[in-house]
Amino acid sequence: MSAKVRSMIQGIAVLACIALVCGLLLGAFNYLTYVDPLQPTLDQFSADTGADFSQMTDEEGQSFENGRIIYYARSDGGEYHAFLAAGSGGWGGEVQLYVYLRGSVIEKVVLGDNAETLWDTFESDFFEQFAGIDVSSSGTFEEADVSTGATASRTIRAVARAIDAVVQYYTANLTGGEHGQS
Amino acid sequence: MDRAKIKETFLGGIIRNNPTFVLVLGTCPTIAMTTTLFQAFAMGVATTFVLIFSNLFISLLRNLIPDKVRIPCYIVIISTFVTIVEMVMARFMPDLYDTMRAFISLIVVNCIILARAESFASCNKPLYSALDGISIGIGFTGALCLIGIVREFLAGGAFAGISIPGFPAMSGTGASAFGFIVFGCLMALFNFVMQKVNARKDKIKAASLPLAEGKVEAWEEVADR
Repeated sequence: MSAKVRSMIQGIAVLACIALVCGLLLGAFNYLTYVDPLQPTLDQFSADTGADFSQMTDEEGQSFENGRIIYYARSDGGEYHAFLAAGSGGWGGEVQLYVYLRGSVIEKVVLGDNAETLWDTFESDFFEQFAGIDVSSSGTFEEADVSTGATASRTIRAVARAIDAVVQYYTANLTGGEHGQS
Repeated sequence: MDRAKIKETFLGGIIRNNPTFVLVLGTCPTIAMTTTLFQAFAMGVATTFVLIFSNLFISLLRNLIPDKVRIPCYIVIISTFVTIVEMVMARFMPDLYDTMRAFISLIVVNCIILARAESFASCNKPLYSALDGISIGIGFTGALCLIGIVREFLAGGAFAGISIPGFPAMSGTGASAFGFIVFGCLMALFNFVMQKVNARKDKIKAASLPLAEGKVEAWEEVADR
């Protein structure tokens, strides 16, 4: 074996050994510092409702025509259904909402991630209008169902689509569906 | 252990070879991460951690790493420690990590770290290399904090997040371009002060030299007798 080949093999072997040791070190640190990516959402659900959420019931979510459910979880006591829903067609893309149902009735809606710019034109109690809506009897939820003095029509459309996604998901999966109704 | 070398290594990175004000390395994080004192400090600490451990490991492996593959080896080692910093920050300081995410990853290509690995750690013992990492890290953190204090004060009228009454924020001073101006002014000030200090040292040395020579001659006379 020539000196050149030996030197090349030596170089590759040393590099491989260093990479292996570094990989093991990173593996150990990953084990020690791992953060469940779903945990912040569960924490948000708990903070908004006061109930305990320890497990995501549906991590995959479900897509509908103009909106989607990103995550769905049921509180440990079964009292709340919590949704992270997104509606498309906003000014800055998707608008995410945290929607909480007690039974089949919306109890609370909280704004999530979005890139909309006109929230200051909305009334401060804008999201309170959704409380009390029974999703099991509403069928669909449309833009016209949202009452507001604001002129941000694309934002309103995205919000309505996110709420509609919750209605659709509830109808498809929770009304006697796979998760059962509380 | 050579105490003189320890002292020289430790003070070298902070003053004589200050990475920001003298070597002018790592300018990208210096401008991007000095809008507030807290961010500047966090960036400095993260870089210091990577500097210390990458220097230490590279120094430990300096006789094993073949010359031809030394740069890839250094990059693998440096990126490992940068990833560890990212993991720890994401776990324990998620808010800070969100604001600094891009620049933490970019520590891998921070030329201060590669420069110290190549010019110091690869040819010095582990203890001195770790000490060099601490020293350069302190020099870098100190410089960032200094710039951060000035920029936060001018752009936000605050110190470490606490607003100072009577000092309103100056519009436009939060921009990166103004960061360069602050950086340049502080660099000039640092080098001016260092020149003055060095000139004073030289003057004292020159003044004390004849005395010392005189003493040597006197001792030689005593010895002759």
